[in-house]
Amino acid sequence: MSTITIALPSKGRIKEDTAAVFERAGLAISAVGSDRSYRGRIEGMEGVEIAYLSASEIARELASGAVDFGVTGEDLVREGMAGADGRVEFCARLGFGQADVVVAVPEIWLDVETMADLGDVAADFRARHGRRLAIATKYWRLTQQFFSSQHGIQLYRIVESLGATEGAPAAGQADIIVDITSTGSTLRANHLKILSDGVILKSEACLVRARKPGHEQDPRIARIVEAVRAAL
Amino acid sequence: MPLIDMPDFSTDLLAEFAARRTERVNTPVIQPAEPFLDMAGEDLRRRIFLTESETGANLCLRPEFTIPVCLRHIETATGTPKRYSYLGEVFRQRREGSHEFYQAGIEDLGNKDIASSDARAIGDATGILKALLPGRKLALTLGDQAVFEAVVKALGLPFGWQRRLIHAFGDMAHLEALLERLARPQPVTGLDPQIAEMIASDNEADLVVHIDRTMQETGYSTNASRSPTEIARRLKEKLELAETRLDGTALLLLREFLTLQLPLAEAPAALAGFADAAGLKLGPAVSRFDARLAALANADADLSAMTYRAAFGRPLDYYTGLVFEVTEAGSSAVLAGGGRFDRLLTLLGAKEHIPAVGFSLWLDRIEAARASR
Repeated sequence: MSTITIALPSKGRIKEDTAAVFERAGLAISAVGSDRSYRGRIEGMEGVEIAYLSASEIARELASGAVDFGVTGEDLVREGMAGADGRVEFCARLGFGQADVVVAVPEIWLDVETMADLGDVAADFRARHGRRLAIATKYWRLTQQFFSSQHGIQLYRIVESLGATEGAPAAGQADIIVDITSTGSTLRANHLKILSDGVILKSEACLVRARKPGHEQDPRIARIVEAVRAAL
Repeated sequence: MPLIDMPDFSTDLLAEFAARRTERVNTPVIQPAEPFLDMAGEDLRRRIFLTESETGANLCLRPEFTIPVCLRHIETATGTPKRYSYLGEVFRQRREGSHEFYQAGIEDLGNKDIASSDARAIGDATGILKALLPGRKLALTLGDQAVFEAVVKALGLPFGWQRRLIHAFGDMAHLEALLERLARPQPVTGLDPQIAEMIASDNEADLVVHIDRTMQETGYSTNASRSPTEIARRLKEKLELAETRLDGTALLLLREFLTLQLPLAEAPAALAGFADAAGLKLGPAVSRFDARLAALANADADLSAMTYRAAFGRPLDYYTGLVFEVTEAGSSAVLAGGGRFDRLLTLLGAKEHIPAVGFSLWLDRIEAARASR
């Protein structure tokens, strides 16, 4: 039987929370070699390997099918691949790592409360400012899907932002942002507000399975999914 | 340099271009990506092949020819009118078919006679397709953004609503959502009472001062893109537009218009009938529509193969009037697509207004059609 690889977050709160869920599920993880090792195994389960990776790498490895399972944020999975639901299965929502991907605009844009308002502003932007409305984000794919498919807004430009995205409007790098937020406090501190219909995705950590041939016949796959679900 | 993988009918095609008095131009395969993303929007990003130069500039493999041909025209400043033709590879990420394929077409820049240059673009596209697909029955669908704009204006909607509807033209789902809002207006709620009061008393100056002060206090002023005045005015306009209700009759008329689909030769009578019954004055847009039809008839175009579809448009802000597509009768594969884009050249940086109309031919689909005989 082929080895099943489960990719888990390699650091931080999400690593501890994941370990706790697996423990409750009766899938206690032990490190291979030292505690700092990035490989592990599940006690009492043969042929199952744990690979500790960064959260965004986990999404990538799921997309390529290099791992069978991964625990990572839904936002990273959906951002990382087109047609996510056809390529992976979200087996369980784990109840931690909650964060929303949202559209936020400067608080002082008193006239912009909804995506429809933003559509009006975007349509006019070039005529008024000589350039398209600029959105700072690291979520290219989620932004495009939400703006074009769901709200018919085509005319904007994405400015890549890999950190401190909330500061982009005040710094003049972009007009608005699409970013992740859990409590909204950083947005508020930067005088940004979330549009009333501007929540693109309510994300949390998920157990995600890459849809691979052979999984249906493998009892270990069903057992892992059942055990994690039962522990929630 | 002849490329060995060019479609076998390329020589015929180039002869057609020459006979139609066009100047053949070539453009580099590697293009700056910004103009494409700026004109067509970020959606294009998923469909083009992007790369970066050593200095960080966004580059892409040529996804189409219209923008490069127009940019080249502006750079070389050779004056108008000009009729350019092109034939070369374009590169796009597609679900079906190859990622690299040949496109050819004609761009007619600066011809001030709108009706006859529209008719000529249609005549060139169908004439070339007939030469490449002898004996096949072709079908042409024609739309006209200017007619839709005239209908919307004639309904007496506030300017802001006209702009919204015109902007959505060609995107039926978006248009339907807007019509729904017009049928059931939702007043704006949750506005700060102090601000609501300033707007109610039409006190723009105070509102601007208030916004400006808040911007200063929050450190947003330095790089603010939208000015206090812009925000204040749009807020006022938004409150007015939120209360606009299009009465049932007008809404029905607009929906009825959007369902119009009939043989092109019957379209003028149908549009006149529609305008009469609705009590709308559609004015110059309809006379231009009629003039184009007359020019087509003059050029002996086969009007019986042409259909007018009122809702047919492209939701991009540089298209201004005519749009058309040609397929084989009974097939959905578009062999040629074109339209008028009078706004594109100034958006790309041309100093003067240059009217423009053109079309492109999908050579891979034409090749498939030739092989399917």
